Amino acid sequence: MPTTPTDAATAPDPGGAQLDAPPTDLDEPGTIGFTPRRALAGASLNRFALSLRSESNRAAFLADEEAYLARYGVPAEQRDLVARRDWTALLLAGGHLQAILKLAAASGGTLLDIGAHNVGCDRGVLATACPRLIDGLPERMP
Amino acid sequence: MAEVIGGIGISHSPSMGVEYDKANGTRENFDDRWGAWYDGCAGVRELLARLDPSHLVVVYNDHLNYFDLDNYPTLAIGVGDGFRQADEGFGLRDLPDLPGDASWGIHLTEHLVANDFDMTVSQDLAIDHGIFSWLPYVSDPAWPVPLTPIAVNMIRQPLPTQRRLRDLGLALRAGIEAMPTDDRVLVIATGGMSHQISGGRFGLANARLDRRFLETLPTELDALVALPREEYVRYGGTEAAELSLWFTMRAALSERARSLYSFHTVPQITGCGALVMAEPGVLERIDPPMEEQTS
Repeated sequence: MPTTPTDAATAPDPGGAQLDAPPTDLDEPGTIGFTPRRALAGASLNRFALSLRSESNRAAFLADEEAYLARYGVPAEQRDLVARRDWTALLLAGGHLQAILKLAAASGGTLLDIGAHNVGCDRGVLATACPRLIDGLPERMP
Repeated sequence: MAEVIGGIGISHSPSMGVEYDKANGTRENFDDRWGAWYDGCAGVRELLARLDPSHLVVVYNDHLNYFDLDNYPTLAIGVGDGFRQADEGFGLRDLPDLPGDASWGIHLTEHLVANDFDMTVSQDLAIDHGIFSWLPYVSDPAWPVPLTPIAVNMIRQPLPTQRRLRDLGLALRAGIEAMPTDDRVLVIATGGMSHQISGGRFGLANARLDRRFLETLPTELDALVALPREEYVRYGGTEAAELSLWFTMRAALSERARSLYSFHTVPQITGCGALVMAEPGVLERIDPPMEEQTS
């Protein structure tokens, strides 16, 4: 079971071991908004992922992933992303981070696996870089 | 009639629970980063014990651990005599269920709906790290005080406005004061401080923003509410939107309530802090004034 994708097409270039401070714009890929359209596109994907909140479902999924996904009616292209644990593409396809985290948990992974894939770096590099501190304040902050 | 004696704002995170379990809740087993959180929480624990509330109203956000996206409530209230723990995908932690008090849940639901807050009523609510992660740091896991949980949507756009969450606090205060018991109620709001846990900005934290928030919330609520949510998200990460839950706590207290204690640290990914406030005279009624204690 891959917890860190090795062939993920959507992972940005890893770059150096040091991570820059995060930017303060709210555009992708820095911030992946869970928009209402994404919520609709990811409806069955999220229903599947949230089913993994029970131990018996986690076991059933891991025993036969294809069959389990088919039961939830997850579209073929999203089933493929699940099979590859392509965390970033799963979020872009409408998976909510908190739902996709259940898939990572069932796969023996954690939030850092998703984060490292989103950032495009090694999990260890991200763990060392966190917290990625910035210190700006909103202009009208009291 | 019941009385609002004070409030607590406190952050939550899954790691908080993981680290507590790893350390078995024992100070010397925490590493330095989480030891700082543990130590900071000792101040909250002490004040919580001194304030000695008989009921807690806890405003929190669920992280798709109980609710799901097929039906997502904007504001939900747990009504029952107990609330179990939700399985977040990693299995259950070794902690007892939370005690509730159905008469408080029924009363607050009636009051809030009568005052135009159309609450979703959850009779079988399971609760996630939104409450279970910080609670053992400030209270022993026998959970001596019953609570009424109120869940706020921080998952699905559109989120309730900051103004609405402030108004919820005003309505809660009136609802608590209309309860025909002599309960001493503490209003707790929990939401992460600066953090972002997805996208290229994963791991963003902003200690300066968090500290300013802790300093200004007691006296500058309206200015903080007026600051667009997008600005909190820009400088504090997507999940800093959860700071708006703290507005509910502040608004549930009187203008004269004052800060007793606050602290902040960034253990790992999430800015973590707490603020304890009390209504004037509440502590003095419980304890002799500090001068008398030391003289």
